[in-house]
Amino acid sequence: MTTLILALAVGAVLFGIGLYGALSQTNLVMILMGVEVMLGGAMVNLVAFWRFLHPEAYSGQMFVLIVMTVMALEMAVGFSIATGRFRAKGSVEMEEAQDLKG
Amino acid sequence: MLQAIFTAFFGLAAIWFAVVVFRTHSMVRSALALLFSQAAIGGMFLAMQTEFLGVLQIMMMATEMAIMTIFMVMYMMDPGGLGAMEMTHQKRASQVAGALGALAALAVAFFTSWGPITPEVRPAQQVHDLGIEIMERSMLIFETAGVTILTVMVAATAIAIMRRDEE
Amino acid sequence: MSAALTVLMLFAGAYLVAVLEGWASTGKLRPVGPISSALALLGRESVVPRQPDRIFFEVAPPLLLVAALLAAAVLPLSPGLIVTDLATGALFVNAALAYVMVALLMAGWGPDGAYAMVGGFRFLGQLIAYSMLIVMPITAVTMRAESLFTTEVVESQAALPNAVYQPVGFVAFFVAAMAVAFLPPLDLPTAPGELAGGVMAEYTGWRLAVMRLSRVVLVVTLAAAVSVFYLGGWLGPALPPWAWSAIKTLLVAVAMLLVGRYVPRLRETHVLEWGWKIGIPLALFNIFYVGVLLLVV
Repeated sequence: MTTLILALAVGAVLFGIGLYGALSQTNLVMILMGVEVMLGGAMVNLVAFWRFLHPEAYSGQMFVLIVMTVMALEMAVGFSIATGRFRAKGSVEMEEAQDLKG
Repeated sequence: MLQAIFTAFFGLAAIWFAVVVFRTHSMVRSALALLFSQAAIGGMFLAMQTEFLGVLQIMMMATEMAIMTIFMVMYMMDPGGLGAMEMTHQKRASQVAGALGALAALAVAFFTSWGPITPEVRPAQQVHDLGIEIMERSMLIFETAGVTILTVMVAATAIAIMRRDEE
Repeated sequence: MSAALTVLMLFAGAYLVAVLEGWASTGKLRPVGPISSALALLGRESVVPRQPDRIFFEVAPPLLLVAALLAAAVLPLSPGLIVTDLATGALFVNAALAYVMVALLMAGWGPDGAYAMVGGFRFLGQLIAYSMLIVMPITAVTMRAESLFTTEVVESQAALPNAVYQPVGFVAFFVAAMAVAFLPPLDLPTAPGELAGGVMAEYTGWRLAVMRLSRVVLVVTLAAAVSVFYLGGWLGPALPPWAWSAIKTLLVAVAMLLVGRYVPRLRETHVLEWGWKIGIPLALFNIFYVGVLLLVV
């Protein structure tokens, strides 16, 4: 029971740190890193639930595999959007991205 | 008991490196701190006896964060961190939001009764069982993930590629 | 006991490969070459650049050594002689080799020097070229063994070694192994003569000794991986099993070093182009071919 509570606590704190990072940073690359930390916290929770409550149901591990895939994919798309924006405007600061036009 | 110690150790390492990600001024240090935070999460997976997921996490995050490093050097204004710029906005609100999110999740973790805990799993059998699960019950999910990866590869290349009339 | 013996044999192999590498690059066979150059390096002054990123500068050489040793820890020398027989051994080799990239990136960014940074980021380009080529042949090998244990991968080759069963995969993995160990012709991060030593340019004294030691251990680890996955590890008629492992590993290392003598250094654009346009279709064809052979034949 203690290990389960420990793992869930670590997941909760990682989620909080990631949320702070995703909301407070101005640069697109740093926002992406905040989202990565949040997804890491979610994965820790998933694995803890799988291991301690339902080790016979492998759909838990399948969920973690899909979350890992999504982490990689959203980073790829985020960086390609950053590339496009950098070519158009010269910076990826989100404070400057306040107009829909151009 | 040993499992609790290792999970706590890797968990503290993950939290510490995640804090370093947002507090350091050097961008390359930020990316590599994120790498070690995710590797510590992989270590937690290994401590909780999910061997395949732990090794997979460690391997994938090394490559991903190395690529993130080069993107940070390309797009950030001060990759070496010697200028000590302030790069945040709405700092107070986001600190409150982060603290509230963490506290809500902690409250759910502490005050729910989780039911009976399974003491033992067999690591050597897991790889085989995970493979059977992927290939039999979750085949549709796996194929969807594969098609999604292909779509994202094509889409990301299409967005990022330079158009011929600009050359 | 068996762990210590395996590590001892690993370092003995590393010493032999260092002597052979010296012979291949200079043409003179000097059996005490590694010891004398190591003592010379340890005795020299250790110069630190003016404004390094201190953490990266210090961590990079030990991290390279740790990555190579972790990859070698799951490779068997004989049925009982393995440091740790992980249930996901074949995948763990790949995970440990990914940290070679992290170590070289740190060694590139740490010293705050132009040549080092160019070398480090060139290795990132090389990683994008070789990373698929190193995982997909391992997939085909484990398809035949039906397990991720490295000992079972060796035992599945009792009838026919994988080099004959899946030749396309063998060639792809051999080239990718040379890319991971940044041996010539794929030595973009160090590039002696072009980048003045590249990633190793700013290291002197005992740190350079550790970097060179880690590089030789990495070469031996990759040669051992090629022989375990494709040449049948310890299987063979007359000699004891560990002798067969040692002979096969040394032969693969000699082959890698000889290729470097006769092929000029490949350009980064060519490495990326050929890796993705030729290498990945070949690796996918290899998986398909092995699948057909396993299911039909």
